Amino acid sequence: MILIFLQSSVFSLNTLVTLKVLESNERDTMAISLKLIPHLLAWFGIVLILLRGFAGRRSVVTVASIAGFVIGVTGTCILFRSFPVAIPFVVVKSALGVSFLFLWGASIAAIYRSTGRGITIFQGERRGNFPLGAGIAACMASIVAGAICTCGLPAAGSTLLTLLLLAVAAGALAYALAYSAQALDKLLPNSYTVSLSGMLVAVVALLLCSSSSLLRLDLFSPLSMKVMKGVHDFVHQFMESILIPDHLFIRSYIWKFIGLLFGKEVGFWGGLVIWFIPALLIAMAIGFERLPSVAHLRQGAKRRTVMAAAIRERRCRLVIPLLSVVVFATAAYQSSFPSVEYWDPKPLPITADQSGEITIPKKGEIDLEDGKLHKYLFKQGGREVRFFVLMTPAGQLTVDLDACAICKPDGYGQAEGSVICYYCKTLIPLDTVGKPGGCNPVPVAFSVKGENVVIDGITLVNSWSTTVQATARVKEGGK
Amino acid sequence: MNRRRWLLHIILRALGHRRGRTVLLLAVLAMASSLATALGIVSTSMEKRVAEEVRKYGANLIILPESARLDVGSGGLNFGVVSEPSYLLQQQVENSLAQSGLKAERSFHLRGALQMKAADIMVEGVNFADVRRLFPWWQLKGNWPAAGETVVGNDLATRLKLKPGDTMELTGKNQTVRLRISGIVSSGGEEDGLLFLALPELQQALGLEGQISLVRLMVTAGGDSLKKNAAALQLLLPTAKVSEVRQTARTSEGLLAKVKLLMIMVTAVVLISAGSSVAGTMSTTVLERSKEIGLMKAMGGTRSEVMLIFCGEAAMLGVVGGVAGYICGTVIAQFITKTVFASSAEFIPWFVFVSLGISLFLALLGSIGPMISVFKLDPVRSLRGE
Amino acid sequence: MSENIIETNGLTRNYGDICALKPLDLQVPEGEWLSVMGHSGSGKSTLMNLVGGLDRPSAGSLRVGGKDLLALTEDGLARFRRESVGIIFQQHHMVPYLTAVENVMMAQYFHSVPDEAEARSALERVGLGHRLKNRPGELSGGEQQRVCIARAIINSPKLLLGDEPTGNLDHKSTIMVMELLKELRAEERFTVIMVTHNQEVAAWGDRTIYLDDGVLVREERTAG
Repeated sequence: MILIFLQSSVFSLNTLVTLKVLESNERDTMAISLKLIPHLLAWFGIVLILLRGFAGRRSVVTVASIAGFVIGVTGTCILFRSFPVAIPFVVVKSALGVSFLFLWGASIAAIYRSTGRGITIFQGERRGNFPLGAGIAACMASIVAGAICTCGLPAAGSTLLTLLLLAVAAGALAYALAYSAQALDKLLPNSYTVSLSGMLVAVVALLLCSSSSLLRLDLFSPLSMKVMKGVHDFVHQFMESILIPDHLFIRSYIWKFIGLLFGKEVGFWGGLVIWFIPALLIAMAIGFERLPSVAHLRQGAKRRTVMAAAIRERRCRLVIPLLSVVVFATAAYQSSFPSVEYWDPKPLPITADQSGEITIPKKGEIDLEDGKLHKYLFKQGGREVRFFVLMTPAGQLTVDLDACAICKPDGYGQAEGSVICYYCKTLIPLDTVGKPGGCNPVPVAFSVKGENVVIDGITLVNSWSTTVQATARVKEGGK
Repeated sequence: MNRRRWLLHIILRALGHRRGRTVLLLAVLAMASSLATALGIVSTSMEKRVAEEVRKYGANLIILPESARLDVGSGGLNFGVVSEPSYLLQQQVENSLAQSGLKAERSFHLRGALQMKAADIMVEGVNFADVRRLFPWWQLKGNWPAAGETVVGNDLATRLKLKPGDTMELTGKNQTVRLRISGIVSSGGEEDGLLFLALPELQQALGLEGQISLVRLMVTAGGDSLKKNAAALQLLLPTAKVSEVRQTARTSEGLLAKVKLLMIMVTAVVLISAGSSVAGTMSTTVLERSKEIGLMKAMGGTRSEVMLIFCGEAAMLGVVGGVAGYICGTVIAQFITKTVFASSAEFIPWFVFVSLGISLFLALLGSIGPMISVFKLDPVRSLRGE
Repeated sequence: MSENIIETNGLTRNYGDICALKPLDLQVPEGEWLSVMGHSGSGKSTLMNLVGGLDRPSAGSLRVGGKDLLALTEDGLARFRRESVGIIFQQHHMVPYLTAVENVMMAQYFHSVPDEAEARSALERVGLGHRLKNRPGELSGGEQQRVCIARAIINSPKLLLGDEPTGNLDHKSTIMVMELLKELRAEERFTVIMVTHNQEVAAWGDRTIYLDDGVLVREERTAG
């Protein structure tokens, strides 16, 4: 049964993407659908968790989730249509931020309650198991999930008709996914229960994980940036108000430690702390939960049986918050290491003229001065040389071998602000490309004649064979 | 007491009961993992050093006095001892270079020792203008020195607590010089442990006017010509040795690879024998304890619960052995690098996981067989004593 | 006392060609003290192991405490043993590196969670309050057997099996152990099945059955 649901969901996913990206071809559709899958999986997980948590309210949760998803998708589409691009992102991001803050509050309440004090800040707990509460929770979570999905799609102008069709497709997709979640939920044994706080932490974790792969919705990097700035400002103000740099009591080595506070690491670690604390607090609260009183049981064996069962059940409830910690970690990872693709053009074959000189026009087919890596392949007398031309940020043209003097010549790719050596994965800042040494690409002498870059072919071949072939034990082509 | 604490408790009790065997197993595991850790640490730090050396030498040719041992490009791998310092004549080298018509950037170096407060300091005399051109990766805190000034390597500065602006007095064979420190230099290489001053000043101080101990050349012409150039220069300088830097790096890499291979083989043998000895010891233990296992099963322990106790024992041994192995391995690595490579190994904290992993793997692998017999053991028979 | 805790029907156990237990029909009512007598090799230990869930019958049916032991898996049998059966052996069988109280806690561990206070009071009840921290090697045979009794009843089993529990004990200790068992049975109301060679020991029970070569040959009730 699940299989049927999944098949239909794949179909509706394709329809959804096709509708959204009207002019694109089939391959793009596939690629975009693939990118959407993690978001949909996250939503699937959310529905599953909600079904578990609100056991007995399954139908309400399912319907509310589907409705929420459709509202989320269409609502965000409308937002995109009627406002500049930045605004919908801000809206979705603030929704995520609010949910994270809410999680913080809930976690503090949970840990406070676990100390044995009664607290009734959060009325929803009792109401949570009423159909309305369950429905609202499911609906809100799904709205945000749907919004994230839509933000993952490329923006395209849409008419009212396509909007309607889109809503239908999203509905079909949501229907298929939600019912497969329900089917899966029925397969799971009843002993896997989820506490209310566990449900909350899992839902928020999945939402944040799904959003963290989209640069503009990512919460973690702005968070760590804020932390860094906050610490920086605080330390700065503090120092300025009471201490002068050459204060008697401050030795130079203490400044080193103060300097640590200004680094990028502070933001990262501080961000991590804020990021993980709610989930950990909730896990701790569950861990601290009192075991049932067994004093009334006279028989020791029975007492121990009850105790063991309670401990086992508590451990079961710990699973979800701990899994959420993993999900949070994934989110932080995705945000710190966004999946960047390197700019790595295929080397263009090039030949020298009679005088042995290679001439490349600056503004020919390829604009050499666009700040990107341009690779060429030069063959002469059975030898091959890969080299590239690059304009550094300082505005200087440089010609270098597509290899360094140390590594195997796997070549370089370009990412923002740097080139990377594929072999040793060293990032080399663009400003230093053109300087020799280390894993820097080996620079080649060249001259600029008018609008052309001129390189001596012999020098090129010699330079390759002395610096590169010497280190390459096995001659392999570049990447 | 909860179940986990109890499990730990009985594991410790069981291990403590058979103290001799526990110590033996721990020793085997620690030995195996320490050897593997030592190998890893030695090869990682040596590899890093060799790569550093290669990166460090922007020069591609060096000229050395014939009798002096080459100590470049090989990191700590110089087995030879410089018995008697010998020098090149600066004038002669310059003449030969001019004669060969070689287009090359050059930098003259003179290595020597000067005394400061009765302690020897390694000093290198250079022309700072050349250095700035040839070694652009030197990072300088402060200023390049003027006459009567010096720059100090980073490590040396930390060791002697020197900072720019300080004045120091150095005594050479011939005369004493007073130098003001103008900057601290760091290159990540051996330069960090040296003190640099202008070549003529050092020559005077040491009484070695016109003599140098090393020339570094950056020959711009590429191709096979580098080798040809070296050969041509060699002809002109019969008393010196001209060599390519890359070559020396390569020989040290090759040597390192051989040493590594040897160590890997030794480690493999040790790992295999350690594994089998763990397996043997474990299975005798299980045989001896079959009554206990039968009793546990009769008391109502499921097969997996009983196995958990025994696996826990193996894992405990593995963890303790691994930590001990890491500590021993670090010491062994230091010893090896000190005696064989004459340099110190790095302290690499994450190798504790490698060591733990190896030790745990051995302990658990060795107990697979015994665990199967624990799993299969029939309580009735074992309790009857068959 | 009307319900039968043990019901066997044609219970058989073969070891290869040897038939250790010929088809046996036996009913034991709840709360009874049954003594099983016979020569060595007469199948009495086999019966004990079958009833205690340590061994599986070759044929026939076996219900203990309402559970069909043939239907249980290996782990199910282990669970049955920890919850419903306490066993006392002739050779005591204690974990050698654990103290008396820890040996009792071992049974608690397999049952649910270890509880030291409860284990202590159980040992105090069998008169070993002063020997809590002693290892088995430091205890006399009678003391060891009393630890085993404390261990066997710590999980409040429905069925207590004794496989010649007094076989290795002198007369004085035997009397002591039997008195203790009687006392505990009066409190906890478990069923006792005790295999023995000793006519005198068998006489403590409500009923005695005699096995010979795997066949039930005689059955007699103890008077009074």
